[in-house]
Amino acid sequence: MAVAVVLLSGAPFHGGCCRHKVFLSLLGPLLSNSKLYSSYRRPGAEPKKKLSWQNADFSFKKSIDHLKTQLSLLTKETQDYLQGPGGHPLSQHVLEQTRVLWQFRSQEDLNKWVISSDVEIGGKSKVYIKLGRNNQAALLYGTLNTEVPRDGETKYSGYCSMRSRPAVGSFNRKKYYDWSNFNSLYLRVRGDGRPWMVNIYTDPYFSHQKDDLYSYFMFTRGGPYWEEIKIPFSKFFFSSRGRVQDNQHPVWLDKASFLTLGLTIGDKVDGPFQLEIDFIGLLNDRAHREEFAYETYDKN
Amino acid sequence: FTTSLLLGTTMTISSNHWIMAWAGLEINTLAILPMISKSHHPRAIEAATKYFLTQATASALLLFSSMINAWQTGQWDITQLTNPTSCLILTSAIAMKLGLVPFHFWFPEVLQGAPLTTGLLLSTLMKFPPITLLYMTSPSLNPTVLTLMAILSTALGGWMGLNQTQIRKILAFSSISHLGWMTIIISYNPKLTLLNFYLYALMTTATFLTLNSTKASKLSTLMTTWTKAPALNAALLLTLLSLAGLPPLTGFLPKWLIIQELTKQDMA
Repeated sequence: MAVAVVLLSGAPFHGGCCRHKVFLSLLGPLLSNSKLYSSYRRPGAEPKKKLSWQNADFSFKKSIDHLKTQLSLLTKETQDYLQGPGGHPLSQHVLEQTRVLWQFRSQEDLNKWVISSDVEIGGKSKVYIKLGRNNQAALLYGTLNTEVPRDGETKYSGYCSMRSRPAVGSFNRKKYYDWSNFNSLYLRVRGDGRPWMVNIYTDPYFSHQKDDLYSYFMFTRGGPYWEEIKIPFSKFFFSSRGRVQDNQHPVWLDKASFLTLGLTIGDKVDGPFQLEIDFIGLLNDRAHREEFAYETYDKN
Repeated sequence: FTTSLLLGTTMTISSNHWIMAWAGLEINTLAILPMISKSHHPRAIEAATKYFLTQATASALLLFSSMINAWQTGQWDITQLTNPTSCLILTSAIAMKLGLVPFHFWFPEVLQGAPLTTGLLLSTLMKFPPITLLYMTSPSLNPTVLTLMAILSTALGGWMGLNQTQIRKILAFSSISHLGWMTIIISYNPKLTLLNFYLYALMTTATFLTLNSTKASKLSTLMTTWTKAPALNAALLLTLLSLAGLPPLTGFLPKWLIIQELTKQDMA
């Protein structure tokens, strides 16, 4: 193995030698200075100077602390499991009609969200998030810029978004929630009149469906008053890779694992935007009887 | 598809040759896949994919086991499984087909993604061929392995079903638990396994058909069905208690007889 590494790092690359080609492509990811292994990089992305395995911190003390944290999380999960579904008694699960999922009162609440914009594809939009006045809301603000990056392949640009981090349990296992008791999403927001899109990503098991997304619009008023927006889950339409699908399906909420919620602005209008969010929750609206808003048809 | 299911089941339960049994199992697997993914919902497709992968793996293991036995003994008779490696591989194949612990992870997910009527078929009809193969080969299989899997299935089926809120998943864990009871007694008194299976199939059929008529798929919906169909709800209550094994209902009978037999074998 050592001989192979010495040979590969020192020897020049000969185009006619097939054995070296195959061997080098296999060992490419392991060689830090190898110029033979390269991956495509979008213009906005910085070049990777370190490989992922080189970023691992092998500190013994940190690993012990991490293990203690995970074990305490596991203990808490076991205690919650003994109590009932979701850590609450069964009666609470069956009778509850509202639940607050995210509310923004401290920096910890903000850390549960990730902001992103078209900078990752080379665009020029800016997005920031901070706590609002008196720590009573989150303020998502920035500037939208629809200028297309000149990389020869991007046709559209101009979006900013904030997505919730997926919930993980002990030892980074996925956490499963059952939201099937609720039929609407409830948001208390104060916008600036710009339209937003609410996206739900259900994290499917197989990678074939990893681009599936359920979306709906959220129109804000822009006034000084807070508005409470209810979006029934039956209204969310199904899309894949940004294209709305012909076969529409309602979003299933029984296995809300890694179900991340996102708010995106991409209305193709340059300029500043801001959105204050007090809380995001779930609601069981008994008056809403619609199962699915879009036509479903059987294929022959 | 229903005809194909019946054909596959009949082929497996009436066969003496391993290839015919395997062919019947494959026909069953392929016939139920479109039924699981009928709605084309991404979760239904996911359930069908998981079902296909696990069942195909189990079928391959079954074929591998029969081939090893044929290579060693020169014959393909199902009842003449003598090679120990074949027996072990067959045990794991049947466990995967049935959903016994530790090969049970696919079952709740698949049942949750399938419609209720397909779930009924998955819980009853699709279990019949593997149970038949287990019945025919039970004298050759390792009782310790079977007992261990059975105890784990019974325990895990009960514990994991505790905090579920979706009815199909609860019934999946109930199925795993019942399969544990069926498996534990198969080495000592295979007829009790069959009795347990028939009664389990009857009770599960009644449960699934009731849930299908009330369109209840979660506990909160089930809470309000008594206003719509009170008599059916009462019948469902009795069926579920029977499934749980409460005396003097029918479901208690196989459990009583199994415990009695295990006591005779100094196991309980």
